Amino acid sequence: MSEPKIAIQVDDLTVAYNYKPVLWDIDLHVPEGVLMAIVGPNGAGKSTLIKAILGILDPIAGSVAIYGKPYEKQRKLVAYVPQKGSVDWDFPTTALDVVMMGTYGQLGWIKRPGSKEKKASLEALEKVGMLAFKNRQISQLSGGQQQRVFLARALVQDASIYFMDEPFQGVDATTEIAIINILKELRKAGKTVVVVHHDLQTVPEYFDWVTFLNVKKIATGPVKEIFNDDNLTKTYGINYKVAVNK
Amino acid sequence: MTSPQIEIQLIAAVVAVACAIPGVFLVLRKMALISDAISHSILPGIVLGFFITHDLNSPLLILMAAVTGVITVILVEAIQNTGLVKEDTAIGLVFPALFSIGVIMIAKNANDVHLDVDAVLLGELAFAPFDRLLMGGMDMGPKSLWIMGSILVITIALLLLFYKELKVSTFDVGLSSALGISPVIMHYGLMSISSVTVVGAFDAVGAILVVALMIAPAATAYLLTSDLKKMLILSVVFGVFSAIAGYWMAHLLDASISGSMTTMLGIVFLMVYLFAPRKGLIAVLYRQNQQRTEVSLITFLLHLNNHTEVAERHINHLQEHINWRRVRSKTVVELALKNNMIEIEDEVVSLTQKGKEFTDLALEYILTNKDEKIEPMKDDFFLFRG
Amino acid sequence: MDILEYFQLVTTDYTLRTITLGTAVLGAICGMLGGFAVLRKQSLLGDAISHAALPGIAIAFLITGAKDTNTLLLGALVSGVLGTFWIRGIIKKTHLKTDTALGLILSLFFGFGMLLLTFIQKQPNANQAGLDKYLFGQAATLVESDVSLMVWVTSTALLILLLFWKEFKILLFDAEYTQTLGFNTKFIDGLITFFIVLAIVLGLQTVGVVLMSAMLLAPAAAARQWTNKLSTMILLAAIFGAFSGVFGTAISASQNNLSTGPVIVLVAAVFVLISFVFSPGRGLLFRQIRFQQNRRDLELQKTLQFMYGIAKTHTNIGHPHAIRILNNFQGFTKKSLKELEEKQWITLDGQQWAMTEEGFSKAKNLYNQPSNND
Repeated sequence: MSEPKIAIQVDDLTVAYNYKPVLWDIDLHVPEGVLMAIVGPNGAGKSTLIKAILGILDPIAGSVAIYGKPYEKQRKLVAYVPQKGSVDWDFPTTALDVVMMGTYGQLGWIKRPGSKEKKASLEALEKVGMLAFKNRQISQLSGGQQQRVFLARALVQDASIYFMDEPFQGVDATTEIAIINILKELRKAGKTVVVVHHDLQTVPEYFDWVTFLNVKKIATGPVKEIFNDDNLTKTYGINYKVAVNK
Repeated sequence: MTSPQIEIQLIAAVVAVACAIPGVFLVLRKMALISDAISHSILPGIVLGFFITHDLNSPLLILMAAVTGVITVILVEAIQNTGLVKEDTAIGLVFPALFSIGVIMIAKNANDVHLDVDAVLLGELAFAPFDRLLMGGMDMGPKSLWIMGSILVITIALLLLFYKELKVSTFDVGLSSALGISPVIMHYGLMSISSVTVVGAFDAVGAILVVALMIAPAATAYLLTSDLKKMLILSVVFGVFSAIAGYWMAHLLDASISGSMTTMLGIVFLMVYLFAPRKGLIAVLYRQNQQRTEVSLITFLLHLNNHTEVAERHINHLQEHINWRRVRSKTVVELALKNNMIEIEDEVVSLTQKGKEFTDLALEYILTNKDEKIEPMKDDFFLFRG
Repeated sequence: MDILEYFQLVTTDYTLRTITLGTAVLGAICGMLGGFAVLRKQSLLGDAISHAALPGIAIAFLITGAKDTNTLLLGALVSGVLGTFWIRGIIKKTHLKTDTALGLILSLFFGFGMLLLTFIQKQPNANQAGLDKYLFGQAATLVESDVSLMVWVTSTALLILLLFWKEFKILLFDAEYTQTLGFNTKFIDGLITFFIVLAIVLGLQTVGVVLMSAMLLAPAAAARQWTNKLSTMILLAAIFGAFSGVFGTAISASQNNLSTGPVIVLVAAVFVLISFVFSPGRGLLFRQIRFQQNRRDLELQKTLQFMYGIAKTHTNIGHPHAIRILNNFQGFTKKSLKELEEKQWITLDGQQWAMTEEGFSKAKNLYNQPSNND
């Protein structure tokens, strides 16, 4: 069996907010086709890592490559689901409109979305079970529904790599299951999915790859091999025991 | 100096002090713009009060206008609570509307009201000494001095009485409720005092400049200290200085006194903004540059520590892998060499004993989330700073 | 002249037509761009910018000695932009918060401007009459060249808006996401800010520095209440703005001694008030009505459920019961019983009630689906 391709390669990445480093010298290689969780305590720099990979934050050192090339050149291979709380949901727009925004990157400057983009957006909405709500104003959606709309917006980007910042934050159980099923489908289709995740209990059930992060990278690899009390303790500081059904 | 000149300066100084004290708390509580809203929206209150009392200096008028100020705050909060618009929009909607009503009321009754638009915006400090308080035929001095003096005395008395409560409720709302200090009472107490002060000062310096007198001294002081007591004292000093210097500048240019006072406040703020020792622009830019180099240095050392393989430690690798621009990597390497942290042999960089110690210690702090300890550690290790 | 006369004269009188066109165009551009300011949570930045423009007007006058509007507005633009940059500098480089920075720049620049204005007024040879109008605005001083400048700027803004509509929309909603898609967010952001500053500067002559911000906010805040669609909101804001401008000017022109600014602002405030109360989707009135309606529905349902509890014990659900057994249940009134009858859920016969088939199945369904109406 040949070595899988490296989808995301992070080298010596150091990121600072106001010159206070929040990520130190991170090296991270994510193989293609995994469903990976990034776990770590609050303030460990999980979101920061994603944002630095996506070029939202400027690192003070280090480099990021998507399939061997800088992010700017591979933008169209990448989709992003930001934290739900990062936007104003009272914004005057509909669910369908938000999903259509996922097509803007492919369209580039000035060109407007047409019927092709609309069709793709409707399909994405259907995939997340939100087609009935396409004309709903986004503030009238529940937290879980809003998260599904965000997911649909990323799906419509039709990318190879998906980054998601806490997609299970504040969503109902049904939505959580729906989302994880879609993520597993994406993996089956050979996509790479990176998820900032909080709930350690569900890591073995949902993911096949995991990165422990606490300012420095603690460990990264297959869940089966490295998701253990030793790494959890190293990451969370205290003597961490998690009820993992092995 | 003539006697009216002294009196004007005295009034200006008293107004400045009376404004500076509540201003400090408004700035600390992130409510600076409320003073802007109050100062505009009290105008209809003043005009209405004038119709009733026919005396701009009547305490009743001051009370009525101050009530308008508090109503403004309540109105803004009510609109915010409907959720129909964002918070700042609520402020931006309420005060122009009320101010417009005031301006129109003045315009429609121009013959009856002794106010004109210039007075609304600028006040009439130059005329203040001519409106005198007569008691039993005795000249007791300018009326506005008495009014602002009384407001100042009340403000200081309340400040001394409730200093502890104000401090706690400003810096830690949770703790203050736990201690039984009602945040609501402190909030509306401060709003009431601010309203009264704005109304009293309005006559002297006008609607918009009273905002400057409240915010500018406090903001300037906040760039120099974070200690509440020092901040109060400094704002009072800045306020009084600008009031008196402003008076003389106006005298020199033959221009508006309150305009000059504000301009002086602006100059003082600009100076402090640029040159404040720790929080001024120049200091901040210098420190950011230093910290960028030092953070880069630590990153560099950590990298050397992490990688034993020669390829990763080659001097050319800095540009390639760590992705630094040439200039910065040169600065970093030079700094590391000067501090005896690294040695270079055949273009391969390695840590020295001292560098290793420093890196291990830094690593420990980083991993235990004690980043703040890195700063004093630098003092121990560095001979030269970035 | 009263307002009716004003509108009669608009069709015939050249000057009036110019002024009316000017305020309409101004209201439209302010409403349009104000929509963006409100959605960017920069409502009060406009206030700071307009105040910061005052010293620019005075300095432009001092340098050129000219009363030419375009020169003065250029000065206003420069000083407004300067103020904007300083506000950003304060927020980024010091620990002073946004509100403090805005209040500082607003009051300090304005104070400096007033110093210069009073200084200019005292100059013996200065031809200074007319600078005062920039405080509260005087639409009557608009001439054709002013209006054509407004039309020109507004058309450009409209063109840019249509061209970059998609980019504006996505930036307003989710700036970081926009960046990951490869759009230069700094450019889009700069474009919006520049046009907002431009609109403010254009309005200074008509509305004045003191109240200009309301001209941006009020139409947009009113428009937001009527629609959940960005394009409709911007269009409505432009319409509200134009109407405020025209009506405000008409009223102030038909009265003596009234500056235009305050009147326009009050007209716009009336639009806001009406929108807050009467808009069907979000308005307070309908919200209250809906609230009452829900409560009444809930009470009816509770009554029906209680009846269901009684009826269920009988084999014949239509078995009549005395109304007074409902007495241990407090939630019913004569009126609510009537309403239940109207819905054909129960039948009333003197002091007796009986459940219908329909009411029975309705009540049963109420049990089965615990209030899951999304």
